[in-house]
Formats: sequence, structure tokens, C-alpha cells
Amino acid sequence: MSRCLVIDLDRCSGCQSCIVACKFENNVALGNYWCDVVNVDPVGEHPNIDMYWLPIQCQQCGNSPCVAVCETGASYRDPDNNVVLIDKESCIGCKDCIAACPYSDVEGGMRPSVRWFNEAEGVTEKCTLCNHLTATSDGVENRKDTTDSDHAVPPCVHNCSCRARYFGDLDDPASGASVALAAAEAVGKGVYMIESETASPTTVYFLSAEVAEWRGEGGKYVSFVRA
Amino acid sequence: MARTDMSRRTFVKLAAVSAAATAMTSATIGCTQASTGTQTGGGERVFYNSICHGCINACPCKVYVEDGVVIKIEGHMDAPTSQGSLCMKGLNQIHTCYSPRRVLYPLKRTGARGASTAAWERVSWDEAIELTATKFAETIEKYGTYSFMCSVGGGGSYSFFLAMTMPMALGSPTVFEPGCAQCYLPRTAVAAYMYGGSDQSIADCAVLEPFKGLAPLEEEKGVGSDTRVLVLWAAQPSVSQTSQSGRGMAEVRERGCKTIVVDPNFSPDAVKATIHLPVRPGSDAALILSWYRVILDEKLYDEEFTKYFTNLPMLINPDTDLPWLATEVIDGYESTTPENTPVYVCVDENTGQIAPLPYGDPAEVAQEVNPTVLATADVNEVSSRSAGQIYRDEADPWTLERAEEFCWVPADRIRAAIDLYTSPLKEGKCAGIANGVATDMQEDASQVPLGLLGLDMIMGYVNKPGCTLTQNGGGGGFGAVAVPLDSTNEWGKCASDGSQARPTRDHNGMNGMFGTAYGIGYRIGATQAENEERVASVPDEYDPDEEGAVPYFTKSTQYAFNQLLLDRLGMEAHRGLFEWCHSHIPSVREALETGEPYRPRVWYDFSGNKFAMLGSAGAWHNAIMNSELEFIACQYPMITSFQLECADIIFPLEEWLEATGSGRGQLNYGYPSPGVIHLGETAPNGVPATRVVDAVSAKLNEKLDSVVFGNTGKSMEEMGLEFPLGMGLMGGNQNEEEIWQSQIQSYGEVAGVDPETATREEFMEGLKNNHDAYTVSDPEDYWIYGQHLVKADDGLPLGFSTESRKCEVYCTLHIKLGRSGFPYCYPREQGPIDSRVGTWGGDYSPICSVPLQKESPQVSNAEAYTSYDPEFPLSVTSGRVYHFHHGTMRHSPFAREMCPVPFVRINPRTAAEYGIEDGDWVEISSRRTQGTEFTPGTGLELAYSQTKENNTKAGDPIRTVAYVAEIVAPNVLWMERFWNPECFDSSQEGKTGGWQECNINVLTNGIDANFNEVFGSYTNRGFQVNIKKSTAPENVWTQPEDFELFMPTTPNEYTPDAGVIIENTDMLTPIVEFADTEGGN
Repeated sequence: MSRCLVIDLDRCSGCQSCIVACKFENNVALGNYWCDVVNVDPVGEHPNIDMYWLPIQCQQCGNSPCVAVCETGASYRDPDNNVVLIDKESCIGCKDCIAACPYSDVEGGMRPSVRWFNEAEGVTEKCTLCNHLTATSDGVENRKDTTDSDHAVPPCVHNCSCRARYFGDLDDPASGASVALAAAEAVGKGVYMIESETASPTTVYFLSAEVAEWRGEGGKYVSFVRA
Repeated sequence: MARTDMSRRTFVKLAAVSAAATAMTSATIGCTQASTGTQTGGGERVFYNSICHGCINACPCKVYVEDGVVIKIEGHMDAPTSQGSLCMKGLNQIHTCYSPRRVLYPLKRTGARGASTAAWERVSWDEAIELTATKFAETIEKYGTYSFMCSVGGGGSYSFFLAMTMPMALGSPTVFEPGCAQCYLPRTAVAAYMYGGSDQSIADCAVLEPFKGLAPLEEEKGVGSDTRVLVLWAAQPSVSQTSQSGRGMAEVRERGCKTIVVDPNFSPDAVKATIHLPVRPGSDAALILSWYRVILDEKLYDEEFTKYFTNLPMLINPDTDLPWLATEVIDGYESTTPENTPVYVCVDENTGQIAPLPYGDPAEVAQEVNPTVLATADVNEVSSRSAGQIYRDEADPWTLERAEEFCWVPADRIRAAIDLYTSPLKEGKCAGIANGVATDMQEDASQVPLGLLGLDMIMGYVNKPGCTLTQNGGGGGFGAVAVPLDSTNEWGKCASDGSQARPTRDHNGMNGMFGTAYGIGYRIGATQAENEERVASVPDEYDPDEEGAVPYFTKSTQYAFNQLLLDRLGMEAHRGLFEWCHSHIPSVREALETGEPYRPRVWYDFSGNKFAMLGSAGAWHNAIMNSELEFIACQYPMITSFQLECADIIFPLEEWLEATGSGRGQLNYGYPSPGVIHLGETAPNGVPATRVVDAVSAKLNEKLDSVVFGNTGKSMEEMGLEFPLGMGLMGGNQNEEEIWQSQIQSYGEVAGVDPETATREEFMEGLKNNHDAYTVSDPEDYWIYGQHLVKADDGLPLGFSTESRKCEVYCTLHIKLGRSGFPYCYPREQGPIDSRVGTWGGDYSPICSVPLQKESPQVSNAEAYTSYDPEFPLSVTSGRVYHFHHGTMRHSPFAREMCPVPFVRINPRTAAEYGIEDGDWVEISSRRTQGTEFTPGTGLELAYSQTKENNTKAGDPIRTVAYVAEIVAPNVLWMERFWNPECFDSSQEGKTGGWQECNINVLTNGIDANFNEVFGSYTNRGFQVNIKKSTAPENVWTQPEDFELFMPTTPNEYTPDAGVIIENTDMLTPIVEFADTEGGN
């Protein structure tokens, strides 16, 4: 199984609704962002510019270097659905997994980062794909009952203001994620992953050339202030 | 940053630890008693359908409640536009409701006004009402009815009608809101003047057509999208209404709709646009005229519609600036149309001669005359241009090349935009323009909507599928008057039984409600005789035995309400404000400062942070603090800078999750809005004002012989009046029971209970976990087109509710309004406006024209239109960010941690010039912060004299953080309005109101701006500033963890800042102190 998010950058308007939906659902501390959005700032010289927003969170890597490096087994894959998770009970806060993750700040304390160190609890945290809601879901929402565990999606997907986010198992062609991916490929949208030398992400992004040129992980945050 | 309140912070952290394993718990989001019918107990999680009110739009959602606490909100998937989306402002409503800054009990000030001395005492509702009523009544008795004033705003606690009618009820003309002339009034009023229909505002739900047929449920019904090209002019729906029209924009773009976005900022909608025109702030009118020039010269417009349904072919008398009537021009001319439908003259393209231009079915009129749009002819020996020719001449300077030079947009890009906008017509389809708020805040506030409405009109993009000027759903917004239709017109649902009269329109108040109620104002579209008869028919006395008689429909009330129009502050100059019955804001401030022409002394405010939202906030702060204001009463759910520093009493209001409302929805879907929880002693927003008006009226009605009405010198008794005047307070003045009844009547059926008999508890039980509890009206009744073509009772097409029955692209009402106050003041008259105010030879401009930009950057070849001052070389404008709606949500920790300050956007080339790097703190100054102190009372004169004196300092420069990117043009800055509620947190050593640190409204020009001629709009956007590197203010929070203190508090914990979270009296501390230990009390 290959459960992940699939994100349409043609549609994402950078509104950060996903971040807030995540924070309410998962009780994420102030200053920590399991789900985040990077401004990939305008490229070119005004007025000949383009830009896009890059939502980032745990990329659900196929080789999961975080799991490989964890000595206590706290970083693990769900035996039933293969989702990369952290068991906070057995996490000792050594931050080895954070160091092994190419998408994270070295201390798990500064944006951009997909792993975050929870100071209060002394453990590492990250996006769980809301596995507590979605563990057995196909990612195709039951519109009348969003808590239906066979079909639930993470709140970042449900509330997304531009319907830019999809969830599901890419090995299941009927999943929400697979259907969105197939539709994007059918209309010729560019399909990208955030490449890394050490990790093999599964999270997929779409971006059409007429909206902007894919620029990998680049970009920066505007909401981060060091006074 | 000093912390003096670490214990609470530590407590919150500990609470978070214990709660961390579960999703949301009461420990982290706050706790309260449930209201009746929502206490679930036992940890059961239930949901209720509701509709978010986090902004002025409305996104259907589900509110999840557990043990009486709201623990989750999510978008409702069947919503026709938002389709399950919910933006940050909606999600953060939990933190708004449970914020430690909530006011949950009536609070009475115990210290002096001001931030450092603010201190409060909890009082009972009865005591609060009695105190307020006594102060108000005493002052009104002593100084007359004009000593009372009101204010309102658009952020949270929406009370527009209450605020409009409360001063009327107490015999005063004075009410203002920071929006109004600066937000929406210019666009909606100009639409009302030009065609009596719905305007082009997408944010105010006037433009709905683009969102038709987007949802799967709609597509199943065969309703599809017709929007092919959409122009977003000065609008950013993806930010302002993120999950509603932002979602809608994502959907229409996905369906192939091309978009043109006109915005100095590279907004999300600009990022996704087919063509982005990054117009220089304040230069919109010139850009519009460059479109007219191309469209008129190349005949890209809809010829039939322009010739027969607009007034552009009419020849204009240069002496009156009004169209020649056929009866004035042609000897013995006998009209072929009824008296309410005048016949004008044009040049007949077929003969080259002057010919009558009657109104009628284009196919029939074309048999007689082929009107020339661009024409000049001698009429009665006076050389007269057609209105179209006048437009073409006004546009003449604005070639694409000149527009590039002036507006800073490449000429080829402007040309491409014009081609895209006009292209659908070639296939018989529509484009449409959505005009946003930005231009309401500039000198060209009236000229821009004149131009943009006119463009859609000459393109014939009116009342058709795919355009923005439709009257869908009865009109939307505040603009249109619904035309009831049946099902036989070619466009869809239109009547053809000939039973309807020619459309008419009253203009006093929204949709003319006060004109209708009191017999004031000229009814446009009715004849002179009908208007005279209507005014004269108002009875001298109320006769209870007369059928249909109402107590307030009498000559004395009619006279009094007309007097309120004539005496309203600022109306000698800016009469478009009559449309919403509002006063001119700088004139109100001047009245506070000088007592001229009369002095407001008691004030009732209905909304949030005046200092964050009013232009030239420093001048307002000075005016209030130095004023003779004897009592200021506020109703609001929150403590903001304004309540903190100014309110003598605060009435606690319900937040959205507590408030029961009705009649709101998204497109043709209606959703219930039940109050699902209740905190403290908060009240529905109509309750406190109603109680105050009732109590003041009772006191004053015993003294009618001594209370003077306004400036008349006559007592209320002599005037034949009593309190409350007229219809009294309107728009939400129901008690809680009535509000619930109305909710149950609207949504009982979908909740599965009897709408007439169900109790509140039964209704809530029916709503519980009921996904389908919403209403849907027939889309065939909602999406309606072609109304103007429907045959009226005179056999002519209905047309539009203007004097000519056509779309008045040349707005004749502007000419008349400036000369006499017509149609508002009829049967009485004002004199003509000060000739310095009117830009059209002393009149209000009837077409788009380019007014002088009082503060501009260096623009080449533009001396007639701009004024450069090297001390302030940078042009600044503002706009929303995703996190906040107007002045709301700055208390929201999940918003502030990501947007702690209003980052100012700067181009890297400009930043380098000023030695500024990304992330630097910068200081920004304007004429409102430099030079010599502003002298109260000279502002308006300064504005009109066109001189530029460096004597308007009313505050200190502001500071914020630079966001350096190629996201704005060089020499252009962009930032959002702001205030910082942390500045009066208990942890601060010295408290301020938090409005002066980072707030662009300290810099904006509400003092000596070129107020827009028609609406008096002052300049919040497109003015000049300077910038330099600076340091962080000590009292502004910037780190995410700083906002822990804004997180909801734990059960039963009293908060030193605002009051008490829960009504457990054992836990209460009756005195709520803001003051330092040595201050206050």
C-alpha cells in the first residue's frame, strides 16, 4: 500500500486552511506545523513573474529513512496500511529521525520542516495522514458522513479551500489520490515529487507549465519572524 | 518582552500535556455550559448544520459539539459553491468564541478613558441599560437630538440596519462606519443610479453568476457554468472569501474560464490569472478609459444593446449636461411612449439628421431610427455631443501607450486584456467584470464603478448567462430590486403577461426603504405628477381608523426625516452617502473637534476596532480623547483597542457559534444558523440597542416639550413627534424567543419538526446529526435572465429603473444629485455642491474620468493628474490576507502565529535602494506622521483648497516587517490593516491600545485627501509613504509561542483581560482590571 496526499498546485492558493485544520484536529502546538505551505516566491522580474505555493508534510517515503534510523522502533510503518508513523510512547526524543529526514529542519524547530520536536512532551511528531480517522479509508469521501471510516479523509483535505488536496492509496486505482492523479495526467498536467538523494517520496504534486515552472523544494516562508 | 503572567502560561502548557493524546479537548479549546438543548453529556459527539459568519460571506458547515463544547468545525459538502471547503477564518471561529478576549458580561468602566488606565467592573444587564439610557436621555434633553450618534462596522457582529435606524429613532442624522464610502457603497450606489440593478461586487454576493453550476449536485440537475471570461478588477476572492468565492474561482478556472486580474499586488487570483494587469495604485480610472478608447474606436461593443438599451446615443445639452428631450428639440413633438418614459434625441445614422430616440423593443425602434453612438450635432443652435462622444473625448488622452506610462502596465498586456474581455461577444456570449473594494478607497471611488459598469453595459453583458450584471436570486447584495417573473421568456423565467409596470426605484436607504416608508425622495421612473401626488398624500395626522394607516406615516415624520437628510454631516458635498443614510466620516470627526455644525456628545457603537479601521486613526484618537463626548456605549463580543480606550459601557454580544440567525445561505441553498452553545450573559446583537432605545424613549417621552429636535429650535412636541421616531429601530431588534421562532419557521421542515409548533429543544433535536437539514430552491427560479426584455403593462420592454428606462452609461443622476440633492431630498432641495468638490465643471462626473491623485509617485507626463512629493516617494496600497476579515481575528493564535504582523511587500530593487532586506523591521511614515501637528477643524477646507501643507501629523510612524519579493512593482508597497491586541495583555509592562504600532490606518489620509466627490471616500489606498530600516517594537508579539496567551483558557478560569469564561460565580472576580497596579480604579 502507498497511502499519501496528492496535491494540485494549479489549484492551491496558499490559503493555509490545511495548516489550521491540521492544528485543530491534531492539537499541534503553536510554532509546530505538521502540515505547512511554502511560498515559492515569484520568479522573474516584475511584471513578468510567476509563483506557486507548495504544501509540505511528511512525504510518506517508500524507503522511509526515518524508520531505518530509529533505534527504539518509535518510527514505524502501520502494519495494516503501511503508513509511516511515530509511536510517541516509545519515542525518546533523540531526533535521529529528524536528522535522517531530508525534508526536516535539523532540530525539528524551524520552518520548513515536516518533522517537529514537541518540546513539552520531548517527542518528535509529524503528519499521520490522520490515520486515527483514515486507517481503512479509500479516500473517496462519503459526503453525508465525513466520519465514515471507510471513506474519511484528513481534515486538511476536506476543508481545503481550493480542493487542491487528495488522499488515498496510490496502489488502489479507485482511491481518491489515484483518481486525481489519473485525471491530472490525462489533461497533461506536470506531475512532480520533491526529489531527494536519500529519500524516495510518494507524495505527488501537479503543476501546469502555464501556471508556473516547477522549482523543486525552493521558496521560503513569509510568516517566520526572528525579531 | 517582559512577562508578568507566567503562571497562567505555565498552566496552559501543563493542560496541553495532559490533553495531548486526544484530539481536541476542553482543556485546550475552552469550556462552557451548554445552552438548552445542546448538552449532550457522556462524551457523545454530535453535529449541527450551520453557516459560518467569519466573514461577510456564508459557508455552510457542520459544527461538532461534545459535552456542550464546540470541538470541531468543517465545511458542509453539499454547499453549492464551497462544497465542503472551510477557510482559516471559519476554522478559527472556535478560538474566537472561546477567546480570553471575549466580553461575556456587561462591563462598566471604572478608570479614566485610555489604555493605561482601563479598568472594568462587571454590572448587571439592568444596571448597564439604565446607566446608558440615563446618560443618553440627560444629554439629549440638554443638547437636543443631534447630540446623539451611532457607528457600526463590517467585521463581526453585523448590525447595519440597527446602526442606520438607531439615530433616526432618536432624532439624529449621525451614523458612520469605516466601510460604507470606503467599502461597497460607491459600487452599489452607482449601479443603482446607472441601471437600478445589482452591482459588480463579488465579495458582497452581488456577483453570483460565475458560481452557477459548479457543484456535482448542481451538475446532476443540469445546471452548468456559463462563465467564460471574468475580470477581477481590484478584487481578490481567493483571499477575501477563501472557501466561498475562492473555491468558486478555482472551479471556474478548472472549467476553462479565462481571467483578467487588475491588482497592484500579485494576489493569488493574479497568480492564477490568464492576464495580470498590475496597475499602479490609484490609476485605475485611466486604465479603464484606455479600454473605452479601443472598444469605441474599433466598435468592439454590442451595437444593438448600446444603441437601444444605453443612453450613449443621446445628444447631451452642454448647458445642462443632461440629454435633450425630443419635446425640447422638435416643434410639436408628441411622445409615442408614456409620460414616465421620456423620448430623447440622437443623430440617425441612416439620415445623418437629428431624430427622436424613443424607448422600446430594439427591433421596433430600429424601424424608425438607427442611433449613432459617436455623434456631434447642432441642437437648438447649440453644438451637442452624444453621450458616447463625450465618453470618447474623455478617453482620448488614454492611448495604450499613455496608459502604460501612467498606470505602469505594459501596453501589449492591456491590449491583450481588452481583446480577451471583448472576445465572447463575437460568439454571442458574455464576459463580466467583478469590481472589488480597492477603488472604493481611492479618489476615483465613483469614477471606477461608473467606468466598469459602463463597460459591461456597452458590451451588452447584462442579464445574460455568463455575465456578472445579473439579478440572480433577486439581486443579491444591497443593490437590486427583484423583478418577479414567470416561465415564458426565452432566457428562462420571465413574465410576458404584461401585468408589470415599468420599473421604478426609491433611493433613500438600502433599496429605498426610507423613501418608501416616509414619503421622501423622488421615485425614479415615476412621473413628476406621480411623485407630487405621492408626497402630498402623506396624511397630516395618524388616523387609527383609516385602513392601512401607520402611526409614523404622517406629515410631521415626513418633515423630520427630510430634515435629517438636509442636516446630515458632510452632505453639502458628498451626497452619494444618502444611499445608505450615512454621514461623511471626516465631517463627523470635525464635528467632534469643533462642535460645528453641531456637537455629538453621546455615542452608541455597534462594532469592532474603530482605530484599526478608520483612516487617519491618530486624528480620530485625538478627537475622541479631547472631545466633549459624555458617554460611549459599545456592543461587541470582544475587547478591541476602541472598547479598551473609549467605551464607558460594553454590552456583551453573542459570537457566531452562539447566535441564532435566519435567512442566510449560499446561492439557492439555505442553511440553518442555530446558536449551538451559549457563554456567560451574551445577547443577540439586536437586544442591547433595542433595550436602550426603549428606555431612552420612555424617559424622553415625558419631556417632549423640552427636548429640542436637531437644529430646528423647536421641541419634539411642537414638531408633533415622539420617541422612537418613525419605524424605530430596525434590522434585528427581536428578542431571543422571536429569533428562535423565525429560525424554526425557516428550517423546521428540513429538521423534521413542525415549523409552527416545535420548541427550540425539539428543533435542535431534529437538527442533530442531520446532514440534510438545509433548503434548496428551484434553480430555475434562481438563475434568471433577460428581465429587461419582458413586456411591461405598457407594451414596452420592462427596461431598467432609471429615468430613461435604459442603462445610463452616462449617469444623469450624478448631475442632478450634485445640483440639488435629487432624488433623495425631494420634495425639499439642497443647494449645489461646492464647485471645488465636483470634478465635472463643478458637477459630479457622470462618466469615468481621471481625478487628481493628491499623493502620487513620480509619474512622467502626468502633471494634470498627479502630485509628487519627494519626501514620500513610495506608493502604498493595502489588501486582505487570508487570516483576517476586516478588524477581526487578531486574537486568533493559529492565525497570528503565521501572520504576526502585516508584512509589507517591497520589490527587491526598491528594498536595495533603501538598504532593506527581507525580514527586516521597517518604519513607514506618511504626511499623517510627519510635519507639524494637525489642527482640528481645518481638514475639509484643506482638502478642497488643493494646497499641500505639511501640517497633518496625527500620530507616529508605524513599524512592520519587510517581505521583499518581485511580488509588487518597484516603488509600490502593499500591506494589510492591523492591530495588536497583545499590546494590552496583562503581561505587558506598559499598555497601549495596540492600534498605533503596525497599523497602516495611522498613515492613511482621512484628513485632507481629495475625498471622492460623490461619496466622500477618503484615501486608504494609493497614497504616498517613506520607509526606512528600523527595529522591533517591544510590545508586539512575533514568535508563535507568544500567542499561547491568546489560547482559550481552561474551564472556570477567569481571565484578567476580558472577563469570565463561565458563569460559575464561585470563580468570579468581580473587578476586571486592565490597569497597572498604580493606575486604574
